Amino acid sequence: MTDATQSDTVFRPKPSLPPPANTVGAVGWLRKNLFGGPIDTIMTLLGLYIIYQIVAFAIDYGIVNAIWSADTYRECLDRNRGEGACWAGIAVWFNSMMYGRYPDEEQWRVNLGGIVLLLWLIPFWLPKITGKIQIGMSAVLTFPFLGAAMFIGGEFGLFLQVMASIALTLFVAVWLHVASTYLSGRSLPDLLVSITGFANKDDRLHKYVLLGAFGVGFVLSMIYLGSWELVEVPTTIWGGLFLTLVISGIGIASALPNGILLALGRRSKMPVIRVFCTAFIELFRSVPLITILFMAVTMMPLFLPVEFNPPKLAMVIVAVCIFAAAYMAETVRGGLQAVNKGQYEAAQAMGLNFWKMMALIVMPQALKLMIPNIVGSFMGLMKDTTLVSIIGLYDILLMGKAAGQNPSWLGFHTEPLLFTAMFFFVLCFAMSKYSQHLERTIGGGYGRR
Amino acid sequence: MAVVDKAGPRKDARSFSEIVNDERYRSVFYQVIVAIAVIWTANYLITNTAENLEARGMSAGFGFLGSTAGFSIAWSIIDYAPGDTYLDVYLVGIANTLIVSFFAIIATTFLGFIVGVMRLSKNFLVSKLASAFVEVMRNVPLLLHIIFWFTLSAALPSPRDKENQIALFDSVFLNNRGLYVPAPVPGEGFQFVVIMALVGIVAAYAVAVWATKRQFATGQKFPAFWTGVGLIVGLPLATFVALGAPLTFDYPSLQGFNFRGGADVPRAFCALLFALVLYHTVFMAEAVRAGILSVSHGQTEASYSLGLKPSWTLRLVVIPQAMRAVVPPMISNWMNVVKNSSLAIAIGYPDLVAVFMQTSLNQSGHAIEIVAMVMLFYMTVSLTISAALNYYNKIVQIKER
Amino acid sequence: MSLETQELDDVVHVASAISDEVVIELAGVNKWYGEFHVLKDINLSVNKGERIVICGPSGSGKSTMIRCINRLEEHQAGDIIVNGTEMGNNLKNIDAIRRDVGMVFQQFNLFPHLTVLENCTLAPIWVKNMPKAEAEQIAMQYLERVKIPEQALKYPGQLSGGQQQRVAIARSLCMSPTIMLFDEPTSALDPEMISEVLDVMVGLAESGMTMLVVTHEMGFAKRVADRVIFMDQGEIVEQNTPDEFFTNPKSDRTKLFLSQILAH
Repeated sequence: MTDATQSDTVFRPKPSLPPPANTVGAVGWLRKNLFGGPIDTIMTLLGLYIIYQIVAFAIDYGIVNAIWSADTYRECLDRNRGEGACWAGIAVWFNSMMYGRYPDEEQWRVNLGGIVLLLWLIPFWLPKITGKIQIGMSAVLTFPFLGAAMFIGGEFGLFLQVMASIALTLFVAVWLHVASTYLSGRSLPDLLVSITGFANKDDRLHKYVLLGAFGVGFVLSMIYLGSWELVEVPTTIWGGLFLTLVISGIGIASALPNGILLALGRRSKMPVIRVFCTAFIELFRSVPLITILFMAVTMMPLFLPVEFNPPKLAMVIVAVCIFAAAYMAETVRGGLQAVNKGQYEAAQAMGLNFWKMMALIVMPQALKLMIPNIVGSFMGLMKDTTLVSIIGLYDILLMGKAAGQNPSWLGFHTEPLLFTAMFFFVLCFAMSKYSQHLERTIGGGYGRR
Repeated sequence: MAVVDKAGPRKDARSFSEIVNDERYRSVFYQVIVAIAVIWTANYLITNTAENLEARGMSAGFGFLGSTAGFSIAWSIIDYAPGDTYLDVYLVGIANTLIVSFFAIIATTFLGFIVGVMRLSKNFLVSKLASAFVEVMRNVPLLLHIIFWFTLSAALPSPRDKENQIALFDSVFLNNRGLYVPAPVPGEGFQFVVIMALVGIVAAYAVAVWATKRQFATGQKFPAFWTGVGLIVGLPLATFVALGAPLTFDYPSLQGFNFRGGADVPRAFCALLFALVLYHTVFMAEAVRAGILSVSHGQTEASYSLGLKPSWTLRLVVIPQAMRAVVPPMISNWMNVVKNSSLAIAIGYPDLVAVFMQTSLNQSGHAIEIVAMVMLFYMTVSLTISAALNYYNKIVQIKER
Repeated sequence: MSLETQELDDVVHVASAISDEVVIELAGVNKWYGEFHVLKDINLSVNKGERIVICGPSGSGKSTMIRCINRLEEHQAGDIIVNGTEMGNNLKNIDAIRRDVGMVFQQFNLFPHLTVLENCTLAPIWVKNMPKAEAEQIAMQYLERVKIPEQALKYPGQLSGGQQQRVAIARSLCMSPTIMLFDEPTSALDPEMISEVLDVMVGLAESGMTMLVVTHEMGFAKRVADRVIFMDQGEIVEQNTPDEFFTNPKSDRTKLFLSQILAH
């Protein structure tokens, strides 16, 4: 063994030993994370005490002492002396908090509209689908018209009928596209071109095929929409979560295109455009949303021609759109800054003009980087939309308050607020976790750092 | 043919397509179009407004600010009587907005530091509790927070309910009317106490400067911090005792149906403050957390290996670097506190929006002027704060090549 | 004339002045990261003035070992004694050891918010209670020794990597440590900057400093080291004088490592 000059000593690593028992496993974990020292131990015990108090109260108030069915708030109070929640009231008022005063027998229209929107967006999560940006744009730009036609109903004007027909045609096209992608493995445009026998004709003719197909769909949609006989539901009786989603949905949908334009304007080399965009963004970002809402409902009637008297909802939506656009502009600006400068240079070197560079090279990358922030903006806007209750729109918050003013439910305030809070928490928490997940998965190919 | 044209000699007169495709002309053209569009829109709005005002028999202008408002304001930090003018109402609103924002900002900053540090705690339970607090608070709309705490505070005992009164030392009372605290009534010679307090602050500063100087000169450390605390507290306290305690308190006491005496803070103020603090503490905490995380582990290791103790490392190495990342979001959070205090209107706290944009506007009808004045206030605050922020960013920017 | 361009055989060894006094003693040191056994029963004693180069593949525990010597990592079993002070949970002892032991990191870890001079004077002023003028004077001496006195008022961000690492060395020296630890001091540097840092380290070795250097610069090892330690899988596989180590390695593992590292 002592002679090392002749032959090599073969290196045999010592076996790995298990660590000392008190540093690993449950005991080690507890020592390291909870009872590292006297102060740590005190903090842990204090934390446990706080958790115990909260959980005990929540169980007592929310489950043990809660009343699940009652006809009046009085009844609840009599039965649990106010020591538990009166979830019975939530059951009674649930419908109002979801739809406001939208008539019961017409609520299927709201549900159907929601389902259509969800179906429209499902292709985003289907891996094989091509043209996701076009699908998204079609939904964002045209669904509001289809929605308006469905939710308002009555005799709609020619404009709304045309726009809603376009929307319907595009919606059907999206799902035909999905079906053709999964059934025949070809995208809808390819399929249409080959069915009509134009596959080996000049490429320029292809778009006429698509246009023709769209025209046929559009005419059918116009006829179909013309046959609708929906009772008119004025926007004044819309309310609840439905109203919250309408306002924030339109807000976020309009915020993207407007925000992109404002952000580009702010980065523009043209001083006039830059000054206007910067002033717009800074003005509406520096004042609270509530002042913009007040501005909308008090000043807008003055701004419009005398004979014009728009509904409050329209004015509020305009205010929310302005607000959301100003904030989105800054989000987009951040996204544009995150795109590597080399990408701009490469695009210019390829001879693309400004709009083509933005549309084909920069925006797709910037938008991908921005998705988490856009989700964040949407969440923020949804929370901010509760402010419309201050100026008297019956959103989910004000509808809950109205419940407590009903003679049978006088004083029933805490539970609707808790319910709404839980609702927002679950929604926003899930969305923020999802956006964090997106941030991780998207980050992969487009590493910013 | 276009091809021939291009190849041919350059003409003096530029062709139409050359002008259209010239970058400079295009840029001017776009800008003129935008300017015309904006001016046309502005003109359209102004014309409509003039017509509307005429139809309603109203006149525009700020003359109304001098006329008597005539309504009362539930609570104000500066003096106000119903006979005062709209301008006074504007000022009262601003004062009320600023006072609630001031307290909210102080509490938010303080609590935010604590929660932010708790989130980074090695203690699993402590960090998870802090995270839970953050998630719950930020995922619920602020307006809901405000209304919720206001609603809950209505369930506090009424002033008449003597048995369930929430009281501290029989001098601070919390009930469903608000918070009642003793009001200080300065006696003779109390101004000397105030003067000595100021002297104490100056002296503490002087000691700090001297201590640094001496340490740099001789290396000896001096407990400047505790000396300073002693001076700031001790000097006025000694004067106070020497003068025979020239300060009495007007204690709130229950008389009839309500408290008399003392200083009262309305319930709406308390609920608003509480909700603002809960909501904005979260953003402060996130800023602190991100700031501390932005200082790499290597910095602490290098500091330790130089022999600096953890407390010195924190003070000399970690905090100065973390502050660069913490200050910008912290300041924009402060700005959001000021903006969000406008939600006071939902629970009837008389802030600027509530007394001016709602009550005064409804009463006087001067929508444009009032909206402009309110926006002007918020813009001033926001521009001042962002100017300060830019200045800060400039002076702390780490010099790089 | 940089080190790595010279043939290993041509290197003139720097004279050493090793005394009998043991300044670092590791006895049966074991450390785990969770379930992973990173240091397996390490025994090592370092004499005053001795220069030790530690090499080995990544993940072999060499950095972890020297980081245990100033308690940037906590070991779970065994004893570490530095300058007669036992490393334990006693904070006073840890402070005393850290004052005596300087460390240079792969990523320099200069304080970006302080100038070069302030980086150097921070610890003397706050730990040794040194007057500022004196601390600055000493700092300037060391900055001159690492040949960048003219950069004293710049911020670290304005310097090149090699300059930053030299500042980091000067910063450690300002505390007049008796032992210096180097944790891959040249690994984050561009090739042309490596030699400027190694030159400074050679100068330090000439002055008789006790040094433990984790590095793959074999030219440096050959020229300066009194002992080369090869580690793998958390244990010391082989240790010997540089001559023996490079010309006559005993273990098959060492041979494999050397053939890979000297292949190009």
